[in-house]
Amino acid sequence: MPSDLTSLVHWILFLPLGAAAFSALFLRRAGGFAAWFSTAAAFGIAGLSLCVLAQGADVRWHVELAKFGGVSLGFGYLLDAQARLMLFVVSFVAAWIHLFSVGYMQEDAARGRFFAGLSVFMFSILGIVVADNLLMTFVFWELVGFSSYMLIAHHFDKDFAAAASKKAFITNRVGDLGFILGIALCLSLYGTLDFAALKDHPAAKAIPVAVGALLMCGFLGKSAQFPLHVWLTDAMAGPTPVSALIHAATMVAAGVYFMARVSFLLAPEVLQFIAVSGAGMAALAGLCALAQTDIKKSLAYSTLAHLGIMGCALGLGHPELALMHMAMHAFFKATLFLGAGSVIHGCHHEQDMLRMGGLLKKMPLTAATFVAATLSNCAVPFLAGWYSKDAILEAAWHGGHGALFAFLSLAALATCLYSGRMLRLVFLGEANSEEAERAHESPWTMTLPLVVLGLVYSVAGGFLASTLLPAGSLQPIKPALDALGFHLAAPSTVVGLLSLVLGFLGALKFYGSVRGADALRVVSPRTYHLLEHRWMDGLYRWYLDAVQRRVAELVAFLDLLLINGVAGRWVGGGVPAVLGYLTGRSFHRGQARAYALWIVIGSLFLAWFLIAR
Amino acid sequence: MENTGLAHHLLLAGLLFVLGLTGVLVRRNLLVVYMCLELMLAAATLALVAFSRFNRTMDGAVLVFFVITVAAAEVAVGLALIVALFRQRGTVRSDALTTLRD
Repeated sequence: MPSDLTSLVHWILFLPLGAAAFSALFLRRAGGFAAWFSTAAAFGIAGLSLCVLAQGADVRWHVELAKFGGVSLGFGYLLDAQARLMLFVVSFVAAWIHLFSVGYMQEDAARGRFFAGLSVFMFSILGIVVADNLLMTFVFWELVGFSSYMLIAHHFDKDFAAAASKKAFITNRVGDLGFILGIALCLSLYGTLDFAALKDHPAAKAIPVAVGALLMCGFLGKSAQFPLHVWLTDAMAGPTPVSALIHAATMVAAGVYFMARVSFLLAPEVLQFIAVSGAGMAALAGLCALAQTDIKKSLAYSTLAHLGIMGCALGLGHPELALMHMAMHAFFKATLFLGAGSVIHGCHHEQDMLRMGGLLKKMPLTAATFVAATLSNCAVPFLAGWYSKDAILEAAWHGGHGALFAFLSLAALATCLYSGRMLRLVFLGEANSEEAERAHESPWTMTLPLVVLGLVYSVAGGFLASTLLPAGSLQPIKPALDALGFHLAAPSTVVGLLSLVLGFLGALKFYGSVRGADALRVVSPRTYHLLEHRWMDGLYRWYLDAVQRRVAELVAFLDLLLINGVAGRWVGGGVPAVLGYLTGRSFHRGQARAYALWIVIGSLFLAWFLIAR
Repeated sequence: MENTGLAHHLLLAGLLFVLGLTGVLVRRNLLVVYMCLELMLAAATLALVAFSRFNRTMDGAVLVFFVITVAAAEVAVGLALIVALFRQRGTVRSDALTTLRD
């Protein structure tokens, strides 16, 4: 019943838009109702997308919006196995995060705006998921950027939040410039923007490097990949559910999803770049997470590391593994962020990990789910994160990429290190501040999502994915797993277990040695500073100050000299002055009509000059 | 259709343009001047549509959509400026607004 499924997709896509419009128009002052309204819509979407997943059939639907010459621009759905997986992940994570937000945003005055923003975000990301052509993807891509901007700046009266939202928006624009140029190049080379048509295009056998490189720019921005990763850690200025939903689970993963969708357009050189920069960033960001005391920033670096791993999988030519890791990561990282939100909420808005401690007893449910998600994050065997991360390591080894494998192993070790550190500082030991002393468990609206996302999905997710889910929904993943063949003596397993034992237990012990301060900072301040310092931000600042500002000043000077000075003062001022001197009356009488008359006379003179010549 | 050619359209556009221009030069009320400016713009877009129609392409007609959109935004800004000016100075007569002379 393809037509039936199509209308189901209509509902999935436009339900959040309706909810957003309704909340924004009528519920600005009724925050409590808006929260439940938006949450109900999110659960409705989740239910519908489960229906789509269970049906397991592809959906193709397209309507032409405009036609210019031979180029058709349209709106349509292309729901293949990848899209159904992404739809399921996005809608399920989002639904539980909506429920979490109901509790977390309880005391916020602008809840109506917040939930309207979440619904707009849902509409935008679902649009990217179902889009069947590049232009539609781009439109929703920008909408995602907009809703991300709006939600980061939820506390817009705080300077750091306003600055962070601007940074995220502008950094993404840099990437999107490449993206739209890539779309234009696609259009000029192939005359179509439709994914299916591009895939079957006869000229698509030898894709120029430029197409992939330009499309990749969008991915670099949205997925916070290496040179454009700087915005993600600042984006933590948004409320914690936003960080969980947008900047950990779904939006940043949308870049990976998009790359997987257009993977046939990526030339080998582009893939190589993505793989190398991804693996490098995975290792570096993992280590940088060690030098953050803000629990959310530390998690943000962890997200960067995982995005790097996904990028590496893409670059290795295994988009299906990247998508699988995206799905697993979405569940355990959403849990980690929500857990962090619960901790922050419980500790009366304390975000500094050094001022927490001993929360295991005070917040048992949060702690249990956080630990479960952390273990999944560390890729403990048979938890969700293990299936995908191990497979990616395995793929790097099998592909004969020693350096990539080494970087990924370092990333795995770093993951275990910062995870152990986080658990040690936040949940073990004793309370290091009055806030942590008075910590309390969060209400059920916050703990229920934690339990569901944390225990059910991050722990059993991999098991569910590989065995229980209806056949077809995860088709692109299973053959890849079977082909790689898991065996215990594989190098990836060895590396995984070794880093787990060394990193996790080592971190637990190391960070237990110093109380109320960061152990690494005490032992080796220089290493800590090296990891904490934001080198890319410095580079961008240098570029802005030393290059861009100089060029702008030069242009401004030329403008002042040539336009204002020579043209405006000398010619524009001189001619009336001479005429005024000759006729004995002033031409500067401030009469707009007189100036308009002179403009007309000048234009007529110019026209005559041009025609008569 | 048989009786009207490109020249007729252009003549109409030219007439409209001159009408608008005359208004801009002659009238003193800024609101009327503003309407006359819009008339000039409308004349130009009419010429664009006419060329587009008689050259059998849609390019000009499409461009006109953008022109109209931008013009709408510009009208909003311009009217707001005139209202602000009236609040500030208590008049919208162009010959009373000569501060720039000095």
